[in-house]
Amino acid sequence: MESPTTVEPQALEHGDLLAHDAVPAALISMRDIWRTYEMGAEQLHALRGVSFDVQRGEYLAIIGPSGSGKSTLMNLIGCLDTPSQGRYWINSKLVSEMDDDELARIRNQEIGFVFQTFNLLARATALHNVELPLIYAGISSAERHERAERALRNVELGDRMTHRPNELSGGQRQRVAIARALVNNPSILLADEPTGALDTKTSYEIMELFERLHEAGNTIIVVTHEHDIAARAHRIIHIRDGQIERDERVEK
Amino acid sequence: MKFIETLKLAAAAIWAHKLRSALTLLGMVIGVAAVVVVVSLIQGFNAYIDEKIANIGAKSYTIGRFSMDDFKDTDSIAAAQRRNKELTLEDFEFLKTRLTLTDKFAAGARPQRAQIKRGNEILQDVAIDGKQPLMGDIEKVDVADGRYFTDVENNEAARVAFIGSDVADKLFPNGDAVGGEIFINSLPYRVVGVRTAKGTVFGMPQDTFVTVPLMSYRRNFGALRNWRSVYFQGTAKDDKQFEDAVDEAKQWMRVRRGLEKGEKDNFGVFTPDSITGLRDRLFGTIFIVAIAVPAIALVIGAIVVMNIMLVSVTERTKEIGIRKALGARRADILKQFLVEAVVLTIIGGFAGVVIAWLLGIVVSMYVIQTYLSLGAIGLAILFSGGAGVAAGIFPAWKAARLDPIEALRAD
Ligand SMILES: Nc1ncnc2c1ncn2[C@@H]1O[C@H](COP(=O)(O)OP(=O)(O)O)[C@@H](O)[C@H]1O
Ligand SMILES: [Mg+2]
Repeated sequence: MESPTTVEPQALEHGDLLAHDAVPAALISMRDIWRTYEMGAEQLHALRGVSFDVQRGEYLAIIGPSGSGKSTLMNLIGCLDTPSQGRYWINSKLVSEMDDDELARIRNQEIGFVFQTFNLLARATALHNVELPLIYAGISSAERHERAERALRNVELGDRMTHRPNELSGGQRQRVAIARALVNNPSILLADEPTGALDTKTSYEIMELFERLHEAGNTIIVVTHEHDIAARAHRIIHIRDGQIERDERVEK
Repeated sequence: MKFIETLKLAAAAIWAHKLRSALTLLGMVIGVAAVVVVVSLIQGFNAYIDEKIANIGAKSYTIGRFSMDDFKDTDSIAAAQRRNKELTLEDFEFLKTRLTLTDKFAAGARPQRAQIKRGNEILQDVAIDGKQPLMGDIEKVDVADGRYFTDVENNEAARVAFIGSDVADKLFPNGDAVGGEIFINSLPYRVVGVRTAKGTVFGMPQDTFVTVPLMSYRRNFGALRNWRSVYFQGTAKDDKQFEDAVDEAKQWMRVRRGLEKGEKDNFGVFTPDSITGLRDRLFGTIFIVAIAVPAIALVIGAIVVMNIMLVSVTERTKEIGIRKALGARRADILKQFLVEAVVLTIIGGFAGVVIAWLLGIVVSMYVIQTYLSLGAIGLAILFSGGAGVAAGIFPAWKAARLDPIEALRAD
């Protein structure tokens, strides 16, 4: 069934696919991605030639020590940042060719981002925070309310809709952020150390929520430096010094 | 993103910093209030002149010995005195038989001062002038009591008088002026009518006068020359053709004077427009300065708003990052901050208008009637909004082009 130009969804050696200009069919495809920070005269290569694919419905963990480039990679996947070099397709569309409005649309429709520090609007209620992506999607206020309420109920926050972030616990805040990430039905849920600011018990609750979301058909990428968190995923990419060290499937 | 959402966002942001918003707007509010007060003073002043001096409502023109331009400076006055002959009643007859677009046309003579007496009551220095009866119609004279004099009385040079309400009140304290007798230069005149009081114009009383028929004036006061010089007044048959009627009168007057083409008029024609024109020439610059000075406060107010908007953008960098991460486009962020600035300044504009309105009430009570026109209000609000755009565009642009990941790193 596969056409000859598509690419196998597997760990890719550097340079593997640079030879031909095939458009990958995967949900996410990165080819030889570099991200270099200019710091005065010095250059810091946070990523050095990363290549991999993610298929629809995968549950992927990216693990590596602190400073290995996980967040940098995540921000690139989420179209918040642009690579210094390399090609990145999302839904077979080359991100580097997108203009600013199209990137905004991708962030709005295709990606749900969960940050380690939640990044909720402090002055807004939980409900309004969850509504934000829908506002930028131009959805009417009635439908927005309904969908945001449903998303909050899905993360068991039906009774905390009108609370502001400072009136919620860490775990509750992170669940608001997850509801916000999911409310616009994105193609991918990205979570950068989502449990990093939470205690163990709350962390497990959040991870169970991710499992449920995965079972419901969502594509999930979680960044972590904790092995027990990563072990819940079905595939683990190990990253070190800005390079993919290992890409393994986890048998369940 | 829908506009209503942007508006809600702006309102929420302004409300979240009530005190700061209010302080930010202080300059704007004072600027707008000052501009609106000045504008309504000017409009009040102009309306005053239109009503009381130019007699806009009457829509009549006047032909006299001198034109407004002749009074430019002492040289031009001297030159006009040499060039411009006095008008005569023959000139009047000449025009009257030829004017086709003019409806009513009447002659009058400038006033002189005289003493008026009734019994032991004496009024010094009262202005007395002579007019043809039709002048009453042309000037739309408001008769409080009795009537204006008639053609017959004019032709017979009858000693009848139409008097101002001040004269009537002083000489006839019992209110029985009509039918009474007054003495002017020792000659008795019968009072036929009293004019409705007009009050003062620029502090000058308008109701201390006596008007007698033109022919009586000539017979009893002397030739219609020098200070008693003649002038003509006319109205158009059709107000829409007023300009044409004026022009026709002017052309016949030139014929009468035998002026060559291109030669300057040696007489003057006044219309309500020429009087308001003079007003604008005399006061226009003053008005512009009077508006420009408080407008500077507005500019400074706008700069303050811009400054606070820049601070606000810096403070809210993280928020901008979050919004961008969730799919806000540059245009959304730009609109958010621009609308916030405009809503802010329009609120300032409204506050300024309200303050100006209250000040106007006070000024109208104690100084001069002011007019706060809807146009002035609209303009003030429009200018405030414009100031908001000017003040908001740079901060909004700065916010819009923030890099999402850089913005998210801020705290
Ligand atoms: N904005 C930045 N400017 C300069 N260096 C950065 C910046 N962000 C990250 N880095 C550097 O890039 C490397 C990778 O960082 P990061 O992706 O945050 O690692 P991780 O999330 O795995 O801890 C680190 O050495 C870090 O110091
Ligand atoms: Mg990190």
